[in-house]
Amino acid sequence: MNQLLPVLVLCTSLVPALLIFFVKESQQRTRTFVNLAGAVGKVVMMGVMLEGVARGVLYETRLELLPGLELLLRVDALSLLFLTLSAFLWLLTTIYAISYLGNGPHRSRFFGFFSLCVAATTGIALSGTLITFFIFYELLTLSTWPLVAHRGNAESIAAGKRYLAYTMAASAVLLLGMVWLETLAGPIEFTVTGRLTEVDATALQVIFWLLIAGLGVKTALVPLHGWLPAAMVAPAPVSALLHAVAVVKAGAFGIVRVVYDVYGTVLLHDLALGVPLAVVASVTIIYGSVRALQQSDLKRRLAYSTVSQVSYIVLGVSMLGPFAAIGGLAHLVHQGLMKITMFFAAGALAERMGIYKVDELDGVGRVMPWTAAALSIGALGMIGLPPMAGFISKWYLGVGAFQGGQAWVVLVLVGSSLLNAMYFLPLLYRAWFLPPPRAVEPGRERPLGLIAPAVVSAAASVLVGVFAAMPFSPLAWAALIIERTYAP
Amino acid sequence: MIASTGLLPQILLVLTLLMPLVAAMLVSLLRRPLALLPWMALPGLVTALIAPIGSSLEVPVLLIGFNLELDRTGAVFLGFGSLLWLLAGIYAAGYLAGGRRLQSFVVFWLLTMSGTLGTFVAGDVVTFYLAFSLMSLAVYGLVIHDRTGAAYRAGRIYIVLAILGETAMLAALTLAATHAESLQFAAVRGALAASPWSGFALAGLIIGLGIKAGLAPLHVWLPLAHPQAPTPASAVLSGVIVKAGIIGLIRLLPMDAAAAPWGEVLIFLGLGTAYYGVLCGLLQRDVKAMLAYSTLSQMGLVVALLGSGIGVADPTRNLDAAVLYAAHHGLAKGALFLAVGVLAVAGGARFRLVALAVTGFAAFAVAGLPFTGGAIAKLAIKTPLGSGTAGALVMVSAVGTALLMTRFLWVLAKPTAQQRPGVPEWRLTVPWAASAVAALAVPAWLFADLTGYRFGVLADPANVRDAGWPILVALLLALAAYRLWRRPAPTVPQGDLVVVAEALARWAGAWGRRLAAAWAERPALPSPVPAAAILAAVDGLERRLRRWTLSGPTLVLLAIMLSWSLWH
Repeated sequence: MNQLLPVLVLCTSLVPALLIFFVKESQQRTRTFVNLAGAVGKVVMMGVMLEGVARGVLYETRLELLPGLELLLRVDALSLLFLTLSAFLWLLTTIYAISYLGNGPHRSRFFGFFSLCVAATTGIALSGTLITFFIFYELLTLSTWPLVAHRGNAESIAAGKRYLAYTMAASAVLLLGMVWLETLAGPIEFTVTGRLTEVDATALQVIFWLLIAGLGVKTALVPLHGWLPAAMVAPAPVSALLHAVAVVKAGAFGIVRVVYDVYGTVLLHDLALGVPLAVVASVTIIYGSVRALQQSDLKRRLAYSTVSQVSYIVLGVSMLGPFAAIGGLAHLVHQGLMKITMFFAAGALAERMGIYKVDELDGVGRVMPWTAAALSIGALGMIGLPPMAGFISKWYLGVGAFQGGQAWVVLVLVGSSLLNAMYFLPLLYRAWFLPPPRAVEPGRERPLGLIAPAVVSAAASVLVGVFAAMPFSPLAWAALIIERTYAP
Repeated sequence: MIASTGLLPQILLVLTLLMPLVAAMLVSLLRRPLALLPWMALPGLVTALIAPIGSSLEVPVLLIGFNLELDRTGAVFLGFGSLLWLLAGIYAAGYLAGGRRLQSFVVFWLLTMSGTLGTFVAGDVVTFYLAFSLMSLAVYGLVIHDRTGAAYRAGRIYIVLAILGETAMLAALTLAATHAESLQFAAVRGALAASPWSGFALAGLIIGLGIKAGLAPLHVWLPLAHPQAPTPASAVLSGVIVKAGIIGLIRLLPMDAAAAPWGEVLIFLGLGTAYYGVLCGLLQRDVKAMLAYSTLSQMGLVVALLGSGIGVADPTRNLDAAVLYAAHHGLAKGALFLAVGVLAVAGGARFRLVALAVTGFAAFAVAGLPFTGGAIAKLAIKTPLGSGTAGALVMVSAVGTALLMTRFLWVLAKPTAQQRPGVPEWRLTVPWAASAVAALAVPAWLFADLTGYRFGVLADPANVRDAGWPILVALLLALAAYRLWRRPAPTVPQGDLVVVAEALARWAGAWGRRLAAAWAERPALPSPVPAAAILAAVDGLERRLRRWTLSGPTLVLLAIMLSWSLWH
């Protein structure tokens, strides 16, 4: 069973993807059933494995792809962090997407690729070797492209094109780095470190930057972030998934793997690669925030905010100390919950009120109170106010920065908090304190599937903050990962 | 939950914070939400009165640990704070009856109250920060309650400073917590003095807490927010909310010799604020702005008092004196703000006379009038401040305060347009009178406990003389000014320095826009990469991929083939 479970988890999204492509457009109920069955099944399996991994059980499947080329699916604490996030948010997003798309065209195509995208994400989380990771990473690129370009208008096609140009170039770089590394050190498995100590230091430094550049595109590290704001034209559920779980997180997760399970903190410290990476992340954090401030389009503002917030994860692991890493890993989940909330809300506002610009938000707190409240909770969390999840991340990152003797990082965090306040508080101000421009009849907050996911994820982002000290909270799980990394 | 104390005190502590929070969420279900306000402050008051000192509650599963603790300092703050919240709550029910946006007012009132009282009973730095943040944000809703242009401006300036303070404090607290390896106040206090970046941390702390306490030059929001907020909200703003900054300093300022230079800084900033506040206050036209300036001036004295305790052998005297001073100021200033609303509507000549007399009593008490709560407070701070320059400057500042209060009373006495004949309703007069009485009674009650003096010293001729002469001098100065000054009084805009800051911000904004426009119109440069060629290549790939009916299943097929080959 322990051998089968990783494959089964992968199948919960792969099989629905396969089935849905062959479901007719009109067979709404079949499609919904398949989708939800997969999503629910995945959440259940996640629960089983969370409990198992906490006890120390190992779930592993090793498959010989070609002689010498092995596909390894393995569940460790880190993969579960990402898996659980994706399972939970996939369920929410599926419910949301069903309501959002309603009777729109090409739903089978949409949901098919949607599931495929999640299958790829699952594969990334489960990957136990660099090669396996790369295969799923590419599958993710290919399966998200039709989602970005889903609407099929000129803008969507252009955005899709840009997305492909960025990610394909990145894949080439990543592949180069990977092949080079494996030539020098043999197949890379994400378990034992210390394997690279024999390799020439300069080569390792160059390879590190190749890997980071390859992964940095999906992570949207500046200056590789250009595709992300453009991809905003995608339907809201896609943006939500892209920004919270699938694409940017896959990149960030890859960087975490490279730092912890390919190089290891000791080696990175010796190679003096931590601080430069922290600088790149810091620049991204500040740049993303400044750009967000300049956007008047709600979704674009959220997109630049993602650019900024995802780099918290990179910043956390790049400081190479336990506290900062816990903060960064917890933020992988925290940012996901907060940002998906905001995208759900933004999508609902666009659908039900026709709101696309920040200055159209006036008075929505009165017309769509639940949605506006969810948006507000997400925004306050991003600023880092307690008791929201973002506060926990920031606290650990701050303490970690001082522990590592890098006080300047705290200035980055402070600056980012201030900028976050500058671009998010005006939304709250407009929504709650300004009168609506015209009388709108009540009853806009329908259907339930469009509103409830935002409320649920907003509640989750408060709960993971309030109960951060509970076992199985993202923070506690991040601490478990780091504990196991530092004391195997 | 670890039960280190009895269950009842723990329940009371939780109710103090939770009842207003829960009520805030249920407000929309109520038909008359204002009636709720006084009751929600009651658990706090009961806790302060009956829960034994040392009661505590620890809930380790919340946040990074959640601690409530009632020590003597906290109990005093909680006592006078919730008393004033209760009285102002009754007042608000009368003052706002029939007004607009009542639900919004009640929600922000309750949230602010929960946060403020939370800062008084927080048992560790994270709990304190949580409560402080809640209060900081919720106050905004009270400041802009009237939704006028001036209210929005005051709110904007307030929120900018509040967020600055929050982030400055977070940086300081994370630093301190790193070195303390604990979140308890005592450990964090020690770490603040000893850590390698203690200057950085203390500066962040003083900025974060100083903004709330109205420490110049971060005081600018106070004189803008007070006149804009509804009168009961102004009363709690000056009476209780600024005290959250003071209790933060009491809890977190390291008092050992290592931080001695910071003591000097605080004395300097505090005394500067005290004098600057009086000066700007005298040049105001609005009575609430005058009171706001008086508040920051008085808080300046408390900060100087705390600063003078850094590095001395036994700082307890300074801390206790600060607690007593804050308690008196809170209740007296609350009474003065409530008086503004009472006198604005009171028309009956005899009532006005009585009301002005009572208000005058409370006003001069702030300046230290003999035999009032103010005299007690002044006496308490005299010894710890010593007889040096700082002590003398504090003594002399009483002249300024008395002068400011004279001007306040003078302007307050003028008839207003909203006057109605007779006596205002009880919901306005009773809380006002009660807070004036409490301003006398509470310091008297705490006097012996917090200073170690006996009551007799209040009647000591030397003390009466010391407390009395500043007021006499001020009255003489006021009389002289009245007889000799023929031109209209000069004024300083509310928020003084903020006007300069706003002008600078506008100027910077204009330049920024100009630069952005210039950037947008920059000449196009040839691209260093063959972007067109890359895009054309992608185009070709894309055209093929666009036939999704083919590409989708192809992908899946690939995946299946892959997995099939894996099994073999």
